[in-house]
Amino acid sequence: MDFSFTEEQDMLRISARDFLAKECPKSKVREMAKDERGYDPQVWHRMAELGWMGLVLPEEYGGMGASFMDLVILMEEMGRNILPGPFFSTVALCALPLLHYGSSDQKARFLPQIAKGEAIWAFALAESSGKYKASEVRLRAVLRGKDYTLEGHKLFVTDAHIADYVLVVGRTGDGEKPEDGITLFMVDARGPNVKLEAIPTVGGDRQFKVSFDGVTVPPDSILGEIGKGWDIADFILQRAAVLKCAEMSGACQAVLDMTSSYAKERIQFDRPIGSFQAIQHKLADMLIDVEAVQYLLYQAAWGICVGSPSPWQISAAKAKANEAYQRICIEAIGAHGAIGYTMDHDIGLYYRRVKAAQFAAGDTDLHWEVIAVGLGL
Amino acid sequence: MDFRLGEKELALKEEIRKFAEAELPADLMRNTVIDGEFRDFDFEISMSRKLAQKGWLAMSWPENYGGRGASFLEQTVYEMEIAYWGIPGAWMGISGIQWVGPCLMMFGTEEQKGRYLPLIASGEKDGVWCTGYSEPNAGSDFANIRTRAVRDGDDYIINGQKVWTSAAHHARWCWLAVRTNPNAAKKHHGISIFVVDMKSPGITVNPILNYYGRHHFNEMFFDNVRVPASNLVGEENKGWYYLMQSLAFERRSLAPTTYGSLKRILEDLAEYAAQTEYEGQPLSKNHLVRAKLADLAIDLEVLKVFAFQLAWRISQGQIPVYESSRNKIMSDEAMRRGAITGAEILGVYSQVDPDSEWAKLNGAIQGAYLGFPGQASAAGTAEVEKSIIAQFRLGLPKSY
Repeated sequence: MDFSFTEEQDMLRISARDFLAKECPKSKVREMAKDERGYDPQVWHRMAELGWMGLVLPEEYGGMGASFMDLVILMEEMGRNILPGPFFSTVALCALPLLHYGSSDQKARFLPQIAKGEAIWAFALAESSGKYKASEVRLRAVLRGKDYTLEGHKLFVTDAHIADYVLVVGRTGDGEKPEDGITLFMVDARGPNVKLEAIPTVGGDRQFKVSFDGVTVPPDSILGEIGKGWDIADFILQRAAVLKCAEMSGACQAVLDMTSSYAKERIQFDRPIGSFQAIQHKLADMLIDVEAVQYLLYQAAWGICVGSPSPWQISAAKAKANEAYQRICIEAIGAHGAIGYTMDHDIGLYYRRVKAAQFAAGDTDLHWEVIAVGLGL
Repeated sequence: MDFRLGEKELALKEEIRKFAEAELPADLMRNTVIDGEFRDFDFEISMSRKLAQKGWLAMSWPENYGGRGASFLEQTVYEMEIAYWGIPGAWMGISGIQWVGPCLMMFGTEEQKGRYLPLIASGEKDGVWCTGYSEPNAGSDFANIRTRAVRDGDDYIINGQKVWTSAAHHARWCWLAVRTNPNAAKKHHGISIFVVDMKSPGITVNPILNYYGRHHFNEMFFDNVRVPASNLVGEENKGWYYLMQSLAFERRSLAPTTYGSLKRILEDLAEYAAQTEYEGQPLSKNHLVRAKLADLAIDLEVLKVFAFQLAWRISQGQIPVYESSRNKIMSDEAMRRGAITGAEILGVYSQVDPDSEWAKLNGAIQGAYLGFPGQASAAGTAEVEKSIIAQFRLGLPKSY
């Protein structure tokens, strides 16, 4: 066993932290929450120059060939700093399955664009129930000649408004199990008959209802095998769960650091409030939560790195992060008192993002069920 | 990062499984959380001897002291498996293996090491220890101890009282904290550690029954007990440092053992839910039961990674500052949740006497439920541990 990072990984973390502190201060985070696009294309461009979008892509596609653990480290730093924008949608939800399941033509066509920061992708799975389950996939894809026609809509599609492509989970058939007959389509997000309707959220991100009113998709835009798309959706959800968990881990650490500093500075009864056990014990509980999320995250990510992802470990990490991120934020606001409830304070930025993070790549119920199955229940 | 167990550890797990299946009676009561063992001392010590013969009892000690130089990782896996199978007799009292031996290796004289370590590693009754720490006025405020040791020629004379002393009624030796300098500027600076022969004249051990009538701990009185000066551990008045080290050792082993016991409880509950019918289907199909067991499984996963992370830190030659406290808190929290979840799943059967033939899962759930509040106080309450984390990990001002 080894619980340490390599020297290169430590350097990646430090350089990411420095870059984000400089390029994406909290004033920028606030500005982007009001911005129509919700991200800064200049910062996005610089991230591409640093090789972030292509971090885990092979060099032949303009990537850096780094490991999944490196991506986890990078995304922890993005979460710590709250980086607004389509990195998670593009890289975690779309680039990884493209690399794994795409044909060589598809990879050559799409991956270099992503690595260069020239293409933004969004992933469309959930429908009216908002659940990431095969049984909830109703959007129909009907074969007409050689092409498929998509009819239906998707909800809570993040970054659809700036996306060049949407990776859509559709139903091409019905089998014995809900997982049968699902197919993934790469759809031109700006093509005809793709309509967006904003779903305003509390988190300051950009989510949409995306309607596909007879959208034609040629056969070369199908990802993987027809009818076997749920395997790909599962692949995406596992990796995305770990990477969302990484963002949440970074956010948890940031909130703990902020609260710990405040407890040392804020004077009441002539002494720092951090000298009171009522505050100390809150902070100790937060630290235990932070470290629990971190080590469960690294364990799950390591499984993916060595090519044997464990659904149990992935679900344990995400379910724990769902619980811990929420609790840490609430406790942190409590420790700050009224100042933590204000627009000017950064704590609220983190708290407002809790709900989106919890539902991304599976809510706690979904992950409990994975573990229950693992227990033989 | 690497979360892989080595071949050694995997082989060890398999060996322990075979050992447990061969050596443990099928009807072994598994409610040891409430007992902390000590119900059938002869059986327990017979198992200690077998563990010693296997080379497991003191596996991480050097060979010349009766160990086999196993790594902390192996030791951690061993502790998890011992607890999983409920193999009794692994600790030589509660303290011999876990902290007396390791502390003697760090601070003892050559004579002390040569005399006591092989005895502990032998698994014989003469290697069983208790630890005399708490006193009526020294609980969380441990440095407030008043039991006195006064130098008299080649001996020290000890007077005072200890309380909550686990296993004192079986112990051959006591690892005893006493005050040697009552005038030290800080009370932490006047404390020393002695090895005391429990057969010494002047020692009285009285049982204290816990709220379920089980005999785990005791009160001890020292009335002019004469101890040779050669039984002083390390330097006089430096005992506080050795005590802190011993507590770090004790807290370290809590996460692996709690993980092992709870893993068994979780698996048994899953099996129980699968075999129990409710509303025309197995209880395991009930959404609430699935959610509760999954949530418990996550706590166990946390406990496991915490246990291995701490073992790894120690194996790197680092001295953990707050991790032992973190693991102690998480162990108690997991045991509390496991006991409560288990009791909820057993429903009305959770009130059955754990020794009764009506008890489900050999009484394991009642044992945990009755035992966890006591276990939570041993080796430092959550309040003390959280203050340690706040001060030494988060850099907050001392609060007491």
